[in-house]
Amino acid sequence: MGCCFSCKDDGSNQGGEANERTHLLVDPVSNNTTIQRVSSEDYSSCARSLPKKTDEQSALNQILQETATNVIDVAALDSHVLEQHEYHERVKHYAQKLQSGSRWTVPRRTPCLLLDVPAPEKFLSAEPLSVGNLDLITSAVSKANAALQELKVEHKEDLVVPFRIP
Amino acid sequence: MTEEMKKYLHQLLMRVDGLYCILVTDRDGVPVIKVANEKTPELAMRPSFLSTFAMAADQGGKLGLGKHKTLICMYSTYQVVQVNRLPLVITLIASETANTGLLLALEPLVEPLLSDLRGAVGES
Repeated sequence: MGCCFSCKDDGSNQGGEANERTHLLVDPVSNNTTIQRVSSEDYSSCARSLPKKTDEQSALNQILQETATNVIDVAALDSHVLEQHEYHERVKHYAQKLQSGSRWTVPRRTPCLLLDVPAPEKFLSAEPLSVGNLDLITSAVSKANAALQELKVEHKEDLVVPFRIP
Repeated sequence: MTEEMKKYLHQLLMRVDGLYCILVTDRDGVPVIKVANEKTPELAMRPSFLSTFAMAADQGGKLGLGKHKTLICMYSTYQVVQVNRLPLVITLIASETANTGLLLALEPLVEPLLSDLRGAVGES
């Protein structure tokens, strides 16, 4: 009676049942050790059960690493100077690799508007266009031009329409 | 295979007025294939000069403007156009009066070579 905190009945009334003494959250440390022991081979479950502190640390490390890679530090740039013999070795290696490769074919050119003509004299010595055809082309073009000039927009409806807003 | 590739690149070299050299190198500036004429400045073909591009490309990618694609350097007598095709880098060395747009337009024409060249670099 009047006892606010007593550990005496801890052992007697446990029996796996939940009471006011039962932890709502499972103890992370003890829980982890058991899980790690049980599934030590399984990496994923192990990673999931890492203590909170390590999680935080790794997250911080990740942030640090990301920041470091995103920083442009010109002074810290190290120019990898290639040794002379290393350079020659690599050149030789690439040449060998290319030689050993299969035969390479020149890519086909995309069709061009202007093409080379093999026998230009044939085209140049061809019959010129007849006067009748030339007249026909000229008149057709001038008619088309005149038609284009006369093209007008016919105004039928009002362009600005008032909406019936109440 | 190298001969046909060189022949093709030589044709491209002749196509642009003022273009002196076409180089395809790895990221350290070691040439995998190159065609050049006698006007090419020797200094511009050194790995110490060419390898700076890969570094610049790595750092330039951090500017938040996307992946680094092309670098154009105009000097008083030359211009150098470098195209990022990492692990390969295409370098075009030309006179300062050459048409830069034409140089950039050569990139898709060099493209068909790259898969084979990448294979040579990748296995090393």
